[in-house]
Amino acid sequence: MPTITFNGVSKSFGANTVIKEFNAEVPDKDFLVLLGPSGCGKSTMLRMIAGLTEITAGELRFDDTVVNDLSPKRRNIAFVFQSYALYPHMKVRSNIAFPLVMDNFRWWHHIPIVGGLARRAILKRADVAEKVDAVAAMLELTDYLDRRPKALSGGQRQRVALARSLIRDPAVYLLDEPLSNLDAKLRSQMRAAISALHARVRKTFVYVTHDQVEAMTMGTRIIVLNDGVVQQYGTPKEIYDRPANTFVATFIGSPPMNVFLAEAGADGLRVGDHVLPGSRDAAERVISRGSAMIRLGVRAEKIAIHPGDATGENLIEARVAVVEHLGAETIVGFALEGTEGVNVVGAASTSGLFYARLTGEVPLSVNDPCRVGFALDAVTWFDHASGRRVEL
Amino acid sequence: MIGRRNLGVGVRTLLAALLVILAGFPLYWILNTAITPSNTLYGGGQKIFPDLSRSAHLFSVLVTDNSFLRWIGNSVVVALGTTVAGLLLATLAAYALSRYRFVGKGIMGFGFFATQMLPEALLVVPLYSLFASLGMLNQLYGLVLANTAFAMPVATFILKAAMDSIPYEMEESARVDGCGALSILQIMVVPLIAPSMAAAAVIAFFDGWNEYLFATTFITDEHKWTASTGLASFIGEFLIPLDSVFSGAFLFTLPAVVFFLIMQRRIVSGLTAGSVKG
Repeated sequence: MPTITFNGVSKSFGANTVIKEFNAEVPDKDFLVLLGPSGCGKSTMLRMIAGLTEITAGELRFDDTVVNDLSPKRRNIAFVFQSYALYPHMKVRSNIAFPLVMDNFRWWHHIPIVGGLARRAILKRADVAEKVDAVAAMLELTDYLDRRPKALSGGQRQRVALARSLIRDPAVYLLDEPLSNLDAKLRSQMRAAISALHARVRKTFVYVTHDQVEAMTMGTRIIVLNDGVVQQYGTPKEIYDRPANTFVATFIGSPPMNVFLAEAGADGLRVGDHVLPGSRDAAERVISRGSAMIRLGVRAEKIAIHPGDATGENLIEARVAVVEHLGAETIVGFALEGTEGVNVVGAASTSGLFYARLTGEVPLSVNDPCRVGFALDAVTWFDHASGRRVEL
Repeated sequence: MIGRRNLGVGVRTLLAALLVILAGFPLYWILNTAITPSNTLYGGGQKIFPDLSRSAHLFSVLVTDNSFLRWIGNSVVVALGTTVAGLLLATLAAYALSRYRFVGKGIMGFGFFATQMLPEALLVVPLYSLFASLGMLNQLYGLVLANTAFAMPVATFILKAAMDSIPYEMEESARVDGCGALSILQIMVVPLIAPSMAAAAVIAFFDGWNEYLFATTFITDEHKWTASTGLASFIGEFLIPLDSVFSGAFLFTLPAVVFFLIMQRRIVSGLTAGSVKG
């Protein structure tokens, strides 16, 4: 049951560096999620943990053992591939039992026919059959044990891949976007199943995904990656509430965090043409940092929207660009008056928009004028130049 | 639409029938000639539909020449030897070409290709001298070796193409599950490329079965002749017993047909379906 330690781990393919020096420690029994957009290096990271991809520099430790040069098998891991990677010529039973069969492999099993008979004998052994039946029952695969993978649906194949990873009782489970090929309903079922599995087996899970819902709901810790660089490492709550930079802020959350550009002046913080009421103190603190420009991050649920004729101190004029009715809540996309986002049509109309998440039905339509507001204590502050979170 | 579809089926059936006739007629003519009396053949009286009461003459060569069965046996040894050795080497070579990056990979591929450019006749003299100095003349295994050298490159290309289509993830999964390189090849790759192996086996078998030039040059001991050499020996300076020659030709085709029928059942596609998300 190891603690996984990354000690300056990096990966390059020729001159192309895909993972830049990475340091972290994943405590035992954690559910670590590697989250990031496509091509950010998260699968490469997982493959390095598995031993399927060589580590270019740095040290990877399982507890006190450096595992850089250990083969995948000797790392005592299980790996679930995005594409399932089942063995198509074997029945489901043989697929699930395969790691156990290989545990009992002897050199003379290389002899043709003899090896085949020996593997069949291992498969029929009571202890092996018992384990296969137990795992199959756990993942509701009992009825499919004598089928071949091609006769299974996507969800069933995914469960076979999971069952195969479970059979050997490894120390670390590595899962590479295992749910990305499933439909939405099955995905949410499997999400719950994997979380329950983690709770039951109490082992370290490392889970790669680009789906933030999976990351937030399943992970006990999340590493957010972008362009091979770790953006933030923390619990889902930390990452949601206190994003380390504007990338994390806009990557996590649906809709993403709104990031307004503001300029500090003598009268307060100015967003577009509007001075935020009651922001004079904050503006002074911004100026004392040496730059007048600052970014304000506000979560969509912290933004209030009022009709265009509403009056109030802390309100900025805006225009509704998108309204998404989701039943229990409504997502309203808006552009600030006097900025580029207004009156743009087509696909470009959603870029540069800000979002508010409102409870229930909201009587707003596209192009309606509105007034938006938020409390300054709900703001996360980001440095204008670097995009990093700052405390004011 | 339905009329056009029916027309398509009709044309296809006609074309298939034509192909069957084109391919099958020589075989039919062998049978026909084998059961037609020799004097009728030389008298120009061979009929399209022969006298079937003489069907037993299909096997007449077994009576007239009692060495023929031994020669067939030698041919079986050479052809099967070529098939086994060719496939064994080709599988290893194809796996290396398909999965590993190494210095000289391109040259190796070209080298295999180059062997197919050289006619056998060009190599007879140097090979003869090589075999003579190694004491491999008059040995069936020498013939197997020579035939394997020609059959293996073709088999390698066929198997490499099949291996290229096997998803990498499956092999990586096998590595995680505890397979070494040889186990992956044996347990994962070979079963999945079985159809291509069957196709390559047919080619290698026929390479060994039909080979004449090396067989007739390297094997001088009549007991070790292959059937192709034996069959050619029927053609004498003054007498050619055509019915016996064709009876021999008929028997010569039988083991090859049996081998092909066994292998044909394995030449099916779609074995990798279901491994990865398609």
